[in-house]
Amino acid sequence: MDLVDLIKEKRYLGQEFLTWLWFKSEERGGSIFLDDSGEDITVVFEKHLLLESGEGDELEKVICQGLHAGLNEARTGLAMGKKIEQARLLIGRETYEWNVTIRASLLEFRSVRLPKTMNPAEEEEGPDAAAGMILERISLVESLTGIVDELFRMFLKIRTEPEKWLMESKKIAAWVEEMA
Amino acid sequence: MSFTSGTASFVRYRVEGEIPADFWNFAAERINAHAFRDIDDSFEEISIGWVSLAGMFDSSFSEASYVAGDYLAMALRVDERRVAPAALKKFCLKEEQRLIREQQIPKLSRSQKVEIKENMRLKLLKQAVPIPALYEMCWSLANNQVTFFSTSAKAQTTFEELFRDTFDLDAVLEIPYTLAMNLLPEGAAAIENLTPAVIA
Repeated sequence: MDLVDLIKEKRYLGQEFLTWLWFKSEERGGSIFLDDSGEDITVVFEKHLLLESGEGDELEKVICQGLHAGLNEARTGLAMGKKIEQARLLIGRETYEWNVTIRASLLEFRSVRLPKTMNPAEEEEGPDAAAGMILERISLVESLTGIVDELFRMFLKIRTEPEKWLMESKKIAAWVEEMA
Repeated sequence: MSFTSGTASFVRYRVEGEIPADFWNFAAERINAHAFRDIDDSFEEISIGWVSLAGMFDSSFSEASYVAGDYLAMALRVDERRVAPAALKKFCLKEEQRLIREQQIPKLSRSQKVEIKENMRLKLLKQAVPIPALYEMCWSLANNQVTFFSTSAKAQTTFEELFRDTFDLDAVLEIPYTLAMNLLPEGAAAIENLTPAVIA
């Protein structure tokens, strides 16, 4: 199967991950324990959600926006079987915070705001400083993708075990019903 | 906004193929061969090549190296002359009407119209200023992974082609399914057989 067919046929995988992540982030009030790293991180869904259902001519989209909104329409969308295609997240680890919009079906990272690490006025100039800045920023980018990968791995471990997924999906369904 | 300043949007690629043992010398030669060439003073329609992260004019990498630790970081520059479809249509119609009047004929043949359109497109292209676009990339050699700072499908296709031409290696877009296979190799069979879930 070529990449174009894979993207089309497996787009649900990223969407189910984001849907699970929203549930997971609210399960403990915005805190998620990373199994592999053995630490708590912050994941908050904010401001913007795009939900989808169907495909081709049957494709339906709902955009939900609002500052710290309960995103009630989005929850209703989930109750109607829609899945999250795009979400704006705040991810925090230790003293660092990232803002990112994740597009689920292609795993695109959009409008990423990296943590502030130094006052620009204090930054030096020159080739060494430029290389240092590049290494620092790519390190922050990789820290973000590393967190998302770890969350995705947690999801996959549950999703690929039928019994675990059955229990998890019951919890998600109860959460959706409670909030919708 | 980009990787080096402000907010950034990006996708990830997995690099497939064997990296040459003498990689940095190989890369120096290949990047130089595929460095960006200016077309401001020519009539070429498009130019695609590498420049440094220091700026779009640094195609010799004299202001900033593409080497940053274990990373290869640089930018893809695309300069393209474009003709707006509405402008092309207007000038074609104008030329068609001029010929009809000049030759005193009721209408032009299809082949004449096609010829006018192609000639007019070339004429307008020569008058157009190349429009530049920059897309940054950062290749982690340790992880065989490239971060490409654009979510435009067209930019991604251009990047994939230039990357292949430059390094003789394929950069394959990482999507959730391929990432899942890499993150949970022991679950590959289960991932392959998954079907969409009804969650609520």
